[in-house]
Amino acid sequence: MRCGDFRESYAEDMSLFESPLPRVLLSGLLLFLLVLPQFATTYWLDVLNRICIAIIGAVGLNVVTGYTGLISLGTAAFLAVGGFATAAMAGKAGLPFVIVIPLSGLLTAMVGLVFGIPSLRLKGLYLAVATLAAHYIVEFTATHWDSMTGGVNGISIPPAQFAGLVLSDDRKMFYLIFPVTVGLLFFTKNLFRTKVGKAFVAIRDQDISAEVMGVNVFRYKLLSFAVSSFIVGVAGSLLAYQARIISPENFPITLAIDYLGMVIIGGLGSILGSIFGAIFITLLPEMLRLGTDALSNQWPALMQLVAPLKAGVFGLVVILFLIFEPDGMAARWNHIKAYWKLYPFSY
Amino acid sequence: MMAGRNLRAVLVAALAALVPALASAQQEIKVGGIFDLTGVTSDVGKPFAQGVQDCVAVTNDAGGINGKKIKLLGADYAYKIDQARALYKKLVNDDKVVMIQGWGTGDTEALKDFVGQDKIPYFSGSFAAPLSDPSKFPYNFYVAPTYSEQLRSWLDWVKQDYAKSGGKGKAKVAFMFGDNAYGKAPIAAGEKYGAEIGVDVVDKAVLPPNFQDATSQLLTMKQKGVEYAYINVTTTGVSLVLRDAKKLGLTVKFGSNPYGFSESLVAVAGPLAEGVTGVVPHVPFGTPVPGMKVLEAAHQKYHPNDKHDAMYVRGWATCLVWTEGLKGAEKAGQLNGPGVKAAVEKLADFSTGGLSQSVTYTPTDHRPTMTTSIYQIQGGKLVKIGDYIMPRTKEWFGL
Repeated sequence: MRCGDFRESYAEDMSLFESPLPRVLLSGLLLFLLVLPQFATTYWLDVLNRICIAIIGAVGLNVVTGYTGLISLGTAAFLAVGGFATAAMAGKAGLPFVIVIPLSGLLTAMVGLVFGIPSLRLKGLYLAVATLAAHYIVEFTATHWDSMTGGVNGISIPPAQFAGLVLSDDRKMFYLIFPVTVGLLFFTKNLFRTKVGKAFVAIRDQDISAEVMGVNVFRYKLLSFAVSSFIVGVAGSLLAYQARIISPENFPITLAIDYLGMVIIGGLGSILGSIFGAIFITLLPEMLRLGTDALSNQWPALMQLVAPLKAGVFGLVVILFLIFEPDGMAARWNHIKAYWKLYPFSY
Repeated sequence: MMAGRNLRAVLVAALAALVPALASAQQEIKVGGIFDLTGVTSDVGKPFAQGVQDCVAVTNDAGGINGKKIKLLGADYAYKIDQARALYKKLVNDDKVVMIQGWGTGDTEALKDFVGQDKIPYFSGSFAAPLSDPSKFPYNFYVAPTYSEQLRSWLDWVKQDYAKSGGKGKAKVAFMFGDNAYGKAPIAAGEKYGAEIGVDVVDKAVLPPNFQDATSQLLTMKQKGVEYAYINVTTTGVSLVLRDAKKLGLTVKFGSNPYGFSESLVAVAGPLAEGVTGVVPHVPFGTPVPGMKVLEAAHQKYHPNDKHDAMYVRGWATCLVWTEGLKGAEKAGQLNGPGVKAAVEKLADFSTGGLSQSVTYTPTDHRPTMTTSIYQIQGGKLVKIGDYIMPRTKEWFGL
C-alpha cells in the first residue's frame, strides 16, 4: 500500500491508476464478472443486466448533471428514444445490433441536442423544468405515433442478432451488455481527462469564469447534452433488446427521478458514484422484495402488510444516505480507501 | 462474541422456518402471483390480491387440489414493468411455477409474448379484448366479459334509457379515458358499435395520468351537448369527474367500467355517485348468491374488521376458475403449463357460485362470457338493472 502522493510527472498525474495494484484488482473484478453468468440463475442474470443498463444510463446522466451541472429530468425520455429507435431499426428494418445500438445512440444524441438548446438561457431548476417538458413531448409522441412506436400497446423487439449470432436469452445478452458497459465507462472516464471534459467541469463550477477562460459555453453545454444523450440512448437500446417489449409505460417520469436518485446517492460528478448508485437503486427494491417475499411466503397473511414497507424502507434509506453521506457513496468509498491506505496510522 | 451468538440464533431460526417448507414441498403446486400492492393501481390491486390469497387459503384448508396444497408465491411489483418482468423470470425460471395470477394491463401486455413462449397460463385482471384470442395469445386468460363487450353492453343500456326517458333522435355520448393501454382498450370498439346501433359518440376526452381536475374536458362536453358519458378510469378518477361535473352543473348520466365502479365509488364520491351506472362482472361483496357464503366465512375467520368490495370478489372468482383448471390438470397427471391450459379450456359453463357469470373457454376462444351485468347506484347501494348479452360473433372476436 502506498501512503502518500508520489506523482512526479504530468503523465503520472493524468494516469487512471495510481499504482499497479488497482489495475490488477480491476482486471480480477472484470474477469470475475465475465464468468459470473455461468453460475447465475435467469433471475439474477436479469438483475445483473438491468444493473449494467442502469450504470450506463446513470453515467450518461452524470455527464450532463454531475459534470456539467445541468439538471436533466429527460433521462426517461432519452431512454425511450433509444428504445423505440431500436424497435424500429431491429424490428421493422431487421438490422443487426452492431449497427442498431450506435445508431440509436446517435439518434438520441440528436434529440438531446434539440432539447439541450434551452440550456443556453436556462440554468438550475428552470432547466430542469425545460427538460421535464422534453419528457412529456417524447412521451406524447411515443403514445400517439402508433405506426412507429405501437402506441399505448407497445412494440415487440426481436432478439439481438448479428451475422447468425442470436442473443436469445439473458446469459447471451450479458455478454453484449457487459462489454458495452465497460467500454462506455472507459470512454467516460477518459473523457474527463480531455479538453472537452475539463470544459464541462469548468462550466459546472462557474460558467462565467469558464467563458472568460475561452470555453464556448453554449457549444460545450450542447456537446454535453449530446454526449449524455448518446450514452443514455445506448442504455435505452440495450433496455429494449433486453425487455423485448416496450411501451410508453416503460418510461414514466418516475424512471427519470430514479436515475437522478442514482447519481445523487452515488455521487455527482463521479463515474464510480454512478456505478454505486446504479447498483444500489436497482438492487434495493429486489433485496427488499426478496426479504418481504421470504416473510410473506412463510406467513401469507402478512403480504398485505409487508409489501408497503418496501416503499417506506426505500425512502428511509435514501433520506439516511442524504443525511449521513451527502457527497454520495463514492465519497464514502474514498474515505474507506483513505483509511486503509494509511492503516494502521490513520491519524 | 455477542454478535456471533446473535447471528447464530438468527440462522437457526431461519433454518427452523425453512425446514417445514422443504418437507412439504413434494405435495405442493406452485402458483406465481404478480400483484400491485403499492403502485398506482393499488387502490384496486390490494383487495384483488387479498381475494386471491383468501381463496387459496380456503382451498388449501378444504384439501387443496386433490390433496395437494397450492403454494401461492405472491409478490408486489408496484406497477413497475421492469419489476414485473424480473418477478416473472424469477417465478418461471427459479421457482418453476405452473401458472401465474397476474394483474393489470402494464404487466400483462409486457409479458404476453413470454407467457406464450414459456407456456405459462397467465390469468390477468386486465380484460383487454385482444387477449381473448388464443391464436395470438394462447396462454392468456381472465374471468369477465372483455372491456369491449362491457362498453357495447353499456351503450345498449344508453340506447334503452334514452328511449325510455323520451329522448328524440340519437343519444349523444362521450368517452372519457386515460391515454394508456387500459384507458384506450375499448374505445375503438365502442365508437364502431355506437355507429351500428345509432348512438352518437360526439366527444372523446383524454384524461391525463393522475389528473386532479377535469373541468376543461367537461366544458367541451357541455358545449357538445353530451347526455351520457363513459368514464374509463379507476375509482379515484371517476369520483373527480363526478365532482367537477357537479361543480359545472352538468346533467350528464355517467357510467364506468369494473375498475371505476364498485362499492368504493360510493365510499369515495358519496352522494355524487347517485344514479351512476357501471359494469359489474363480479358481484358486490355480500350479494346473496350461493358462492358468497365461503367469502363471508373467510372474512369472519381471517380479517373480520376489513371492508371488502367487488375487487375482492373479482380476485376470488378468478382464483376459483384456475383452481378448477389445476384440479383438471392434476387429475390428468399434467400439472404443467400446457396441462393447466388444456384443463381450463375444457371448462364449459363453469359456475363460480354466482360471484361472476358462468365461464366457458375453448382452445379457439378465450372469451369467458358474453353476458355483462350493469348496475346503478341507488340510495348508496349497487342495484342491478340488467344483464346484456352480446352475440359471440366472429367480427368482434379479439376487438
